[in-house]
Amino acid sequence: MNNLHILNQLYEIELKIAGLGKAEGFERNFRRLYSIFEEEGLFIQNPTNEPYSDSRTDCDASIIGEPSTAMKITKTIKPIIYLKAGDKVQLVQKAVVFVEKI
Amino acid sequence: MKPVNIGIDLGTTNSLLAKFENNNVRIFKNPVGQKETLASVVAFRKDRTLIGDKAREYLTKDPVNVFGGFKRKMGTDEKYYVVNLDENVTPVELSTLVLKELKTFLGPDESPEACVITIPASFDSMQSNATLKAGLNAGFKNVFLLQEPIAASLAFFNSTAEAKEKRDGYWLVYDFGGGTFDVALVNSTQNELKVVDHEGNNFLGGMDFDFAIINSILIPAIIAETRIENFEEELRVKYGKYEMLYYQLMYYAEEAKKELSQSPATVIEFCAVLDNKNYDFYIPINREAVDALFMPMVQETIKLLESIMQRNELSKKDINQIVLVGGTTYLPLVREQLVLQTGMPVDYSIDPTSSIATGAAWYASNKYYEHTAIATNPVNEQHAKDILSQVDFDPLELQVNISYNRSSRDTEEVLLIACSGDYENKYYRVTRTDGGFDTGFINLKAKKTEFLLLLPAIANSFSFAVYDDAKNEIVKLRKEIAILQGIYNIDGQPLPQDISIELDDPENKTTRLEVVFERNSLLPQKRTLYREISKTIKKGTDESIIINILEGERNSRPSSNLTIGCIEISGKDLKVDLVKGSDIEVQIEITESRTLNTNVFLVMTQQEFKHVFSVSEKQVNIPRLREQYLQLEHELVENIQEFQYNEHEIWEIRAAAFLEELQSFKNTLFKLKDHDLSDEKYIIAEKMMRISQEVDKLGGNERIATLIESYLNRKETVRAAIGAADFEKENLLQRYQKIEQSESSFMRSRNASVVENKLKQLNDLYWSALSNTTSFLIGKFIEFKGYNARDYNDHAMALSIMKMADAALENERYPEFRRQVFNLSNLLVRTNFHHNKEFKGTGIG
Repeated sequence: MNNLHILNQLYEIELKIAGLGKAEGFERNFRRLYSIFEEEGLFIQNPTNEPYSDSRTDCDASIIGEPSTAMKITKTIKPIIYLKAGDKVQLVQKAVVFVEKI
Repeated sequence: MKPVNIGIDLGTTNSLLAKFENNNVRIFKNPVGQKETLASVVAFRKDRTLIGDKAREYLTKDPVNVFGGFKRKMGTDEKYYVVNLDENVTPVELSTLVLKELKTFLGPDESPEACVITIPASFDSMQSNATLKAGLNAGFKNVFLLQEPIAASLAFFNSTAEAKEKRDGYWLVYDFGGGTFDVALVNSTQNELKVVDHEGNNFLGGMDFDFAIINSILIPAIIAETRIENFEEELRVKYGKYEMLYYQLMYYAEEAKKELSQSPATVIEFCAVLDNKNYDFYIPINREAVDALFMPMVQETIKLLESIMQRNELSKKDINQIVLVGGTTYLPLVREQLVLQTGMPVDYSIDPTSSIATGAAWYASNKYYEHTAIATNPVNEQHAKDILSQVDFDPLELQVNISYNRSSRDTEEVLLIACSGDYENKYYRVTRTDGGFDTGFINLKAKKTEFLLLLPAIANSFSFAVYDDAKNEIVKLRKEIAILQGIYNIDGQPLPQDISIELDDPENKTTRLEVVFERNSLLPQKRTLYREISKTIKKGTDESIIINILEGERNSRPSSNLTIGCIEISGKDLKVDLVKGSDIEVQIEITESRTLNTNVFLVMTQQEFKHVFSVSEKQVNIPRLREQYLQLEHELVENIQEFQYNEHEIWEIRAAAFLEELQSFKNTLFKLKDHDLSDEKYIIAEKMMRISQEVDKLGGNERIATLIESYLNRKETVRAAIGAADFEKENLLQRYQKIEQSESSFMRSRNASVVENKLKQLNDLYWSALSNTTSFLIGKFIEFKGYNARDYNDHAMALSIMKMADAALENERYPEFRRQVFNLSNLLVRTNFHHNKEFKGTGIG
């Protein structure tokens, strides 16, 4: 559970730094940090800009504007996290996203 | 008769399923999304029916097709008109769908015949019967109803032995959920548990607290920062320009509420673009401020609680305890005020979100039903043929065929569904087993296509199920789907061998392989490894670190593998000294055309070394080759000694022949200059690899079996030795566990050298355990004292250490005694007691 909290914080910090336009200088450090969690089996996924459909149970979505058959994820405030153990993969955190008509 | 065991909390906002098994209650998680709760919402989208959290997403957006809160309408003749279906659905039908969905939490192999469903204390007979009907329609043959406050009380009584003993008397069940509040007075006697009275407010819940934070804290803070006129009005406009911000605020308000349940203060921090301007909001909130906002709502609940007490002429002394139920009771204010204002003891021991389902399962464990027996008489083959010959196959029988690519490089893959026979009013549903994808119920047609979302670089497994018109699964039509993502189909290729990197194993004074890409992984592949430098390299010196990338069997020794990439970074390449323990990042990439790209980054010196290797060219580092040679030679000498000792003459002869062949090029190898440009090093590397691979096979299966047996026996003695150790116990145990963890992999390798190496590691660990045991050290010390002066490098020093060790032993200062015995052992001319052989390795740990 603590690892999930740390991962979420990391994701938030990364977004914040990107917002300040300084992502490039920290890219390597973030890659490294995420790889530490990957060794523990925790994989993070940012679904921003991916297409959205109601089959995506990996996201809790708030629909902005009119719902449509063609929607995309425009903002992710919490990422998707999977836990891999051997050959088994399990969703451990759904993303919190906003979706809009394309 | 069979116990029911299944308990269901069919809630207004969320529902849960629990089961009594192995003398305890287990809350089942939704296989889709892995949450314990299922939103009690049903969405009839244009082409599919969704139940649960996905349906809730459309609740405000598509209210003519999406329905929640129908529990409140149970037992009424109210119907919901579904625009997309052009027909009416009843609250019972909607509850049936929720119950069926909850059944899927148990997995495809379990189909319970009976369950207990909870109902609010306020439910009348019509409402209760409607719930019963929903349960029966959901496929349960026996349904038992239980009032929610009773369920919560049962969960509490079963939570501790103390609670079980004190159960007689009056209890208050205070149920404060996300959207509703209920309080019930429960009377418990030896024989009976019943709800005496209840009160409630259907429009008071945790969500009102979130809105209070938005209205009184967040909106004023945003207005103060942005000075946007009419912001509050604009924020509430449906599909307005601040709609995204509104949902964001709802999320942050709920998070802040949760955070403030744990700590006295928090900060809501977010960025937003409002009217084309970037804002960075930083809004500190403390518990005191929100408590002031929440207080009137908490007060309202206490008023309802007190009205029950007055109505039943009870005082606080008559109440054993207040049992808390519902997520809102996590709030410290609720708990504090209940204690302060009612003066009654409040219990927080049960999980307020799952207590009703838990109590229902406890109740179900004592409820029995008549089990429908399934004929288990075996049918013999002839009888089966007779039956089949009499059956006319129905041409209208539903047949479903699916087709898909078993591997894909895309993030989505098409599933083609073709039906024949009677597929009218039938549905299909595809779910991904990790919980991240679910199509919901979709009408079957002669031909359908579905896009399956794939997770990258793994085997994605899906379940395809078909349902009848009442959404009951037609089990025989279930199919499993497996699609490998990232897998080569036409223009890539799988790796024929493992690709590994050679790393130091300083504990065992050797090197080991760590797999980077597994055999059969599909190209291209890319991975970054993060390791530490295991020796200090001074700037300007010839000392170096070696990044050796090899192809072959990952469990064998490095010399049995083919080196496909080798980078040497020496002190001459460095801008500053590279200190032991500093970080190294090695990015390894193999392209589809099998080109190996490496990018090594030394964090301390901030230097990057990029190399591109063609796998057709051999890569050999002479100093590393020499060290590998010595390791192989040493291993062979040891093997020969062992075979002699165990009288394995044939193995001994073969090993001696390998050693002779190996030693035939020893001189050439050690005379080669480190940067020799001739082909000699490749010839030697090739020969060494071949000999090394042959050594791995020496003795065949017979030797492997003997080694595994010795390994297993040794494990017992090592465990006992660690148990008896007086120092470093944890460290020794960790080393033991590390060896044990790799057990299945090295045993599978069927490689004698690998098993032998593990046996050696166990032996080393055994000696380490002994040298951390006081009784063994005393024995050794007595032995050392008996040695002659010529056995020590510095006899005078040895005598002085012996004196100090004697004093430490006499005064029972065992850690000091142990240190002195180690010091003494280091002074011995030749010792096996403490290994200290020169080991250079790769420089990467």
